[in-house]
Amino acid sequence: MELWGRMLWALLSGPGRRGSTRGWAFSSWQPQPPLAGLSSAIELVSHWTGVFEKRGIPEARESSEYIVAHVLGAKTFQSLRPALWTQPLTSQQLQCIRELSSRRLQRMPVQYILGEWDFQGLSLRMVPPVFIPRPETEELVEWVLEEVAQRSHAVGSPGSPLILEVGCGSGAISLSLLSQLPQSRVIAVDKREAAISLTHENAQRLRLQDRIWIIHLDMTSERSWTHLPWGPMDLIVSNPPYVFHQDMEQLAPEIRSYEDPAALDGGEEGMDIITHILALAPRLLKDSGSIFLEVDPRHPELVSSWLQSRPDLYLNLVAVRRDFCGSQVECACWHLNVHSPGMESKRRYVLPEVT
Amino acid sequence: MSTVGLFHFPTPLTRICPAPWGLRLWEKLTLLSPGIAVTPVQMAGKKDYPALLSLDENELEEQFVKGHGPGGQATNKTSNCVVLKHIPSGIVVKCHQTRSVDQNRKLARKILQEKVDVFYNGENSPVHKEKREAAKKK
Repeated sequence: MELWGRMLWALLSGPGRRGSTRGWAFSSWQPQPPLAGLSSAIELVSHWTGVFEKRGIPEARESSEYIVAHVLGAKTFQSLRPALWTQPLTSQQLQCIRELSSRRLQRMPVQYILGEWDFQGLSLRMVPPVFIPRPETEELVEWVLEEVAQRSHAVGSPGSPLILEVGCGSGAISLSLLSQLPQSRVIAVDKREAAISLTHENAQRLRLQDRIWIIHLDMTSERSWTHLPWGPMDLIVSNPPYVFHQDMEQLAPEIRSYEDPAALDGGEEGMDIITHILALAPRLLKDSGSIFLEVDPRHPELVSSWLQSRPDLYLNLVAVRRDFCGSQVECACWHLNVHSPGMESKRRYVLPEVT
Repeated sequence: MSTVGLFHFPTPLTRICPAPWGLRLWEKLTLLSPGIAVTPVQMAGKKDYPALLSLDENELEEQFVKGHGPGGQATNKTSNCVVLKHIPSGIVVKCHQTRSVDQNRKLARKILQEKVDVFYNGENSPVHKEKREAAKKK
């Protein structure tokens, strides 16, 4: 055992240390080959953290903590019962950790290794190559919820608000909105069959399948929009692919090798799908409806200019929010609220003369 | 041309530099876009204590341990630990109970709210009263 591990061992075995005495009182405890001496959760985390670090795997400690916690039935290491931190693991558990860790060594994202992840308090199945929901997108959902709460006329009546999600992936955005807006209904679309299946599976796991319509369609195709089951939407929400095409090759191996590039690549300026969604507004959005988008930090200005070039859409970029980020970290993305004014405003709006 | 519908882009936003300890930048938006309300701290979780001292977001500093570099679609970060500090009392709470950042932030606020109430109210805090009553029932 490495020196660090030995010191930890001594620390844990000292007098009065809760858990360790209980651990060693197990009469059924056997010496564990071949990871002899490395048999408790804390030691395994330490061991695999070291292995990951040596191999240059990012988030070495977080990865090993999530894997070990998962095998022990907890979502995070901190939420594990402290008694379990120092109890010896069974050989099956050790084997399971070894298998999951070997996938991490192949740069598989933790969420795919565990086959699940959490979003806004919901536990969702994760399956490659369906896009893994990002933490920043939780804030997009929070913003939508605040807006809905402020528009009291939309809340409370059955079937309201009616929400369209473009590019639903695992169903994270749709399902978190449905679960927190008990009267809402959602139409979720995606061009990938795998995403449709996964959203369907997650909807059923959460018993939300009665209020969501999941439709396999490519929203960039003209014909797609003729067969929607419901009328104009109160809200359109999306975390569309917004990576600039030239940035795609710089993405980490976790993303490049495992996640669907179509969920990320937004074209030359990352705007292709964004502009498609905004162009849907006249057809799909109610008066006083809103479109909420997650975008790259370079997009608010680009979206603003683009909207000015398309007065026929009657859309205003009314608000932007930076995602919350710590002090040292560059902001990851921005969230946009693009609003469609009511009919009165539309009638008063004077189209510029073409000269 | 009518000004209805013209976009008002809050350009000063792009020049705001992040404050130390991660003060929430979107709060500055409230000055520019009155439509966005600063939401009061909400109680998450099962237990609801009556009338705990409420926390003012302006007195909190949150260090969101997300790692370095860009995020959003371009990265896949799993370090969702939240570190929350109540400036006036100096109490710090670290929460990594869930895999959801959003939930960790809510839980951190709930735990911090309880600790801050105990800090100022001591034995009179509903937190301690509940514990005493629970102990009596045993």
